[in-house]
Amino acid sequence: MKHNKLYDTLFLAPGFLVYIIFMIIPVIMCFLYSFTNWDGISASFRFIGLKNFVNLFQDASFFQALKVTLIIMVLTTLIYNILGIILAALLNDTGKLLGFSRSAIFIPTVLSAVVVAFIWSYVMQTNGGVINAIIEMFGGTKVDFYATPMTTIFMISGIICWNSLGFFVVIYISTLTTIPQEIYEACKVDGAGWFYRFFHITLPLLAPGITINCILSVAGGLKQYDHVKVITGGGPGGATQTVTLFGVEKAFEYNRRGYSSAAIIILFIIIVIFSIVQLAISKKHEVEY
Amino acid sequence: MKRMITLLMAVILVLGMFAGGAVAETAKSKIVFCVNIQPQLPVEYWQSIADAYMAYNPSVEVEIIGQPSSNVDVFQYEKTLLATGQFPDVMVMQNPADFVPSGALLAFDEGELDYLLDPNIGKIDGVQYVANYKKQVIGVFYNKDIFVANGLEVPQTYQAFLDVCEALKAKEILPVSIGIKDGWPQIMLANMLAGTDLLANDTSWGIQRNADTVKFNNPQLVKAMEKYQYICQNYAGDSLPSITYTQMLEQFFTGKAAMLPMGSWVNAEVAKAEQEFEVGWFPMPGDDNANVLSVFVNEGLSISAMTKYPDVCKDFVKFFFADKALYSDFLKGEQLFSTTKESVPYEMIPLRKYIEEAIAGMQEVEGFESMTGDAAFLPGLKDYYTNKLTQNIAIGNDVATELDNFDKEWDIAKEALN
Repeated sequence: MKHNKLYDTLFLAPGFLVYIIFMIIPVIMCFLYSFTNWDGISASFRFIGLKNFVNLFQDASFFQALKVTLIIMVLTTLIYNILGIILAALLNDTGKLLGFSRSAIFIPTVLSAVVVAFIWSYVMQTNGGVINAIIEMFGGTKVDFYATPMTTIFMISGIICWNSLGFFVVIYISTLTTIPQEIYEACKVDGAGWFYRFFHITLPLLAPGITINCILSVAGGLKQYDHVKVITGGGPGGATQTVTLFGVEKAFEYNRRGYSSAAIIILFIIIVIFSIVQLAISKKHEVEY
Repeated sequence: MKRMITLLMAVILVLGMFAGGAVAETAKSKIVFCVNIQPQLPVEYWQSIADAYMAYNPSVEVEIIGQPSSNVDVFQYEKTLLATGQFPDVMVMQNPADFVPSGALLAFDEGELDYLLDPNIGKIDGVQYVANYKKQVIGVFYNKDIFVANGLEVPQTYQAFLDVCEALKAKEILPVSIGIKDGWPQIMLANMLAGTDLLANDTSWGIQRNADTVKFNNPQLVKAMEKYQYICQNYAGDSLPSITYTQMLEQFFTGKAAMLPMGSWVNAEVAKAEQEFEVGWFPMPGDDNANVLSVFVNEGLSISAMTKYPDVCKDFVKFFFADKALYSDFLKGEQLFSTTKESVPYEMIPLRKYIEEAIAGMQEVEGFESMTGDAAFLPGLKDYYTNKLTQNIAIGNDVATELDNFDKEWDIAKEALN
């Protein structure tokens, strides 16, 4: 078939246009607004240089939001990848319940984050929550998952992971299927056990999957919004507020769109830096066979 | 070629028909009315107002829009509409101070709202931007059966209130139903205490705060917030951070909690809940009197400054109040208090009637975070009060430090306005 560049461009154009309108232009506008005092509703605004960024670095609530975001990012990234690899290794086998197990792990992924957050926030209630009802049924003492900001952040991270772990497991399973069985067989012949094979064959050859999963989980953790919004709304007192929640709050409640844009631009820069560093580190550890 | 010409003519004909229709349509003045869709006031209710007005004034078409989802605050939604050039002609309005600096709201002329009981409520720099359509009062709903069974009486002083709480706690009854998870329900108690300890003594305090002559971190407010903290920490149970508004109601209406500090809209819940006890009401007492009443008068109808039809919009606003059947339906949903000079009777539950009698002669102060007009909080600070300040104090943070932080937020918000 004759290759026609005009057709290529025509077919690419709709998608490219959507990407430009809904991704590139908003990012550029957000970048521009971050240097303004725009309130988000007035017809006019003025450029104020780096003032929004200077104010952000003096704003304790921004640093609190950044801290919460980083904690959620670290926790979810660890759970996604450690548990993801273990589950993928277990599910990359043949067995009677394999299909069921794979489906069971993947099903929460197709549920809306908002729905999941609503359900779990009721499940984890101190009074009337299913978990505490079960604990009390067996004579235990109620657990207050909302007792401190840190326990709440742990709870939120767990809920986020329950919701999305299946997606990461699928990526790991698909990467595992690309590892040639001959390598394992040769290793077995040499007398290597399960752990040796896992750490010296599976893990190094999983590197491409680990790279993509780490980038996705780090970016996802840093962008976290919906689960926190539903479960705590950032409270109590902003103790569980993430940077995205901070940005939305400043933009729509405080009428400080310029300031909010500056916060989101900082988050954007952090995500870019994390991704570049991760990519550089992961590429070093990827193994060719 | 013939086919092409025929097709072209057909297209022109169809377009012509549509254009004709459009011309006929444009003869009508079309206004967009942004409403707050709630369980008690569903879109059907608002549509009935639009329909009634269109029947009254056939040359006008009224389109109803509302927040796209129940978890979207309509007042924030209106900000996005303004930012995207889709600001409605008429809208329900709660924080005009957020919109006035951008010139988005049309001023009502002097005397135009004379049909309201107090047309001066919420004026900003002497100008009225909102036709206030409801008044709600805040108080403490209580379980009369529990009070009677335990020999308790309605408290007349703050100390008597604490004694009641202590007696209930000793009997292992949850004294007060409060939760901070939703962010806003806890402010009812905080507002009442700020009302008795601060606003009742200085009715112009909000205006002074806007003029920067007073601070949040002052002895009266510290005292009020310390009382609020004490009640939250000692009499609201051990799951304060995870309790939602719905659960607060549930705790009260199932008889698990003896008191519920909340707005008068709870009357609507009393009307529909099948509680097996009688519900009573009293205002939160201060140190030496129980005569201060916190009220919300911060919501009404506003008109866009950009509307093509300002006269139609003003007529529509007037119609909302003038059609007694529609206005009484509006009030009935939440058992509200009317704001018109002419009384608007509707079917009230006995408790609502009792409250109306009980509050006669009381000193009214505006809900602390919902003060209106020149006393209104700066943009964003109402949310800071609900989502940060009162939550942090409820969980035990130092009151003076939190109020200091509130003052700092005020300064930042003020600087952002300039």
